[in-house]
Amino acid sequence: MSIQFKTIRELREMLDEKAISSEELTNETHKLAEDLKYLNCFVTMNKDASIEKSKLIDQADNNKSVLSGIPLAQKDLFCTEGLRTTCSSKILSNFIPPYTATAVLKLESAGSITIGKTNMDEFAMGSSNETSYFGNVHNPWKKGYVPGGSSGGSAAAVAAGIVPAATGTDTGGSIRQPAAHCGITGIKPTYGRVSRWGMIAFASSLDQAGPLARSAEDCAILLNEMSGYDSKDTTSLDIESTDLLHTINQPIKGLKIGIVKEFSLGDLDSEVQNRFEDSKKLYETLGAEFVEISLPNISASVPTYYSIAPAECSSNLSRFDGVRFGYRADNTGDLNDLYIKSRSEGFGDEVKRRILIGTYALSAGYYDAYYKKAQQVRRLIKNDFELAFETIDLIMTPTSPGTAFAFGSKGAQNPIELYLEDLFTISSNLAGLPAISIPHGKVNSMPAGLQLIGNFLREDQILNAAHIFQQNSAFHFDKPSMEEF
Amino acid sequence: MDQETVRTICYLARLQIDEDKAQKIESDLETIIEMIGGLQAFDTENIQPLYSPLEKTAFMHEDIENSDNQKEKFLQNAAASNEDYFLVPRVVE
Repeated sequence: MSIQFKTIRELREMLDEKAISSEELTNETHKLAEDLKYLNCFVTMNKDASIEKSKLIDQADNNKSVLSGIPLAQKDLFCTEGLRTTCSSKILSNFIPPYTATAVLKLESAGSITIGKTNMDEFAMGSSNETSYFGNVHNPWKKGYVPGGSSGGSAAAVAAGIVPAATGTDTGGSIRQPAAHCGITGIKPTYGRVSRWGMIAFASSLDQAGPLARSAEDCAILLNEMSGYDSKDTTSLDIESTDLLHTINQPIKGLKIGIVKEFSLGDLDSEVQNRFEDSKKLYETLGAEFVEISLPNISASVPTYYSIAPAECSSNLSRFDGVRFGYRADNTGDLNDLYIKSRSEGFGDEVKRRILIGTYALSAGYYDAYYKKAQQVRRLIKNDFELAFETIDLIMTPTSPGTAFAFGSKGAQNPIELYLEDLFTISSNLAGLPAISIPHGKVNSMPAGLQLIGNFLREDQILNAAHIFQQNSAFHFDKPSMEEF
Repeated sequence: MDQETVRTICYLARLQIDEDKAQKIESDLETIIEMIGGLQAFDTENIQPLYSPLEKTAFMHEDIENSDNQKEKFLQNAAASNEDYFLVPRVVE
């Protein structure tokens, strides 16, 4: 019985009915990963340890949790004890973490099985997975096309049906945009809901971990386990845990959805607009009401992000110096030379570019003009959202201005072209709000995503709206044929 | 963004840019900085910076030792170490 493209729910049933054992499921998953190796989804496999764990799960008593024996893939930015963690960078290509990230530990404690570590943009800096030291990931929907980024390996592994779900991280859209480009579902939770401990930091005030899966329901299953207070992360929220599955099936009659007038959707590709209008109509038939809202400072999102994120990145990535862990250059002179050579040989071009922007923005004489200014504008953006959410329940936008594109076709001449991929996703990171992307049809035969942004800690509402959409549509069942590979 | 500024930033970031890529990096930085410069058009008078979406202060906890010494485990990832220390080129003659 094939396990490809199965959801967590379906695999759970197969396991419970003993149609398959956990060990068989794990072996089958590894076989699939091997058969689809050409997609380049994985950087490192966890074969022996995963099979070992699956045997223990098979031997354990019944009464298993929903994730028990379910294979998952982890973005290669979560530290995993004893399992190489590279951030898809040469500088960490030999790094074996001495501990496991809280989010992964929680999933593993719930019985899930880590199959391997997924490819990504180097240090999560990118929107196309083209900055990985380990090569591009192919979009399962079209050879030679990007899967989106930075969680491109995770998105492609789920879209290709290798694993039912995977972890990702989202600093400016890195879960939602690849989910959209690969035709799957992905949610960035509220900042602080999921512990960042053990996640290799890119921009600490924006990074947040979340799941990518084949449905909103499966995302809720993973997020239920990943969430929760962690004393090891000072930005972890100490809040009562809620069961996101409990409210996922509620009727959405009367739900007020905001459409942002400043996003000027009329300027987008007409097919992107058509999909958006179709989804709007579906929600209307389900009883939702649409309201035009204004976020007057939203046009500042991209420049604000590209001041703050590089600044935080330049600070966070200063730890990679070739001394305590990671790559160290050969033939170095003094200590300063060791730092410079190790970092220069270890980091790729995009990472260097962002470190340099951040260093500039934080340097004497420019701090107020760039970094402080951006943080002030960030507050304006957050205030706009707060005001909007006084009259609406959630906000709907396309996830991305377009669909997946061919390798090398964007950003080569002007990096800003690629930065604009995150036009609709960045603002929820700046404000710390939860947001989900769900597939809502095709644009020029490639998947397109619909984004729902929720109010602070209202993952329940966006998951509910996403699930009801999926109960009344079939876009999330679409599968890539992968025949051309 | 002149060459001198780029050289200074590179030094501060402990990065070296390959000769053949220097011009491209310079023009990319120029483009990005120009985009960020667009923020000056926004009125932020009397607006406090928002450094984190949570704005919570770090919590205090009891100073209780709760982890083991894992020196060997941590030294394993270093390119050069002895039994006790990370090793680097000699700093003091």
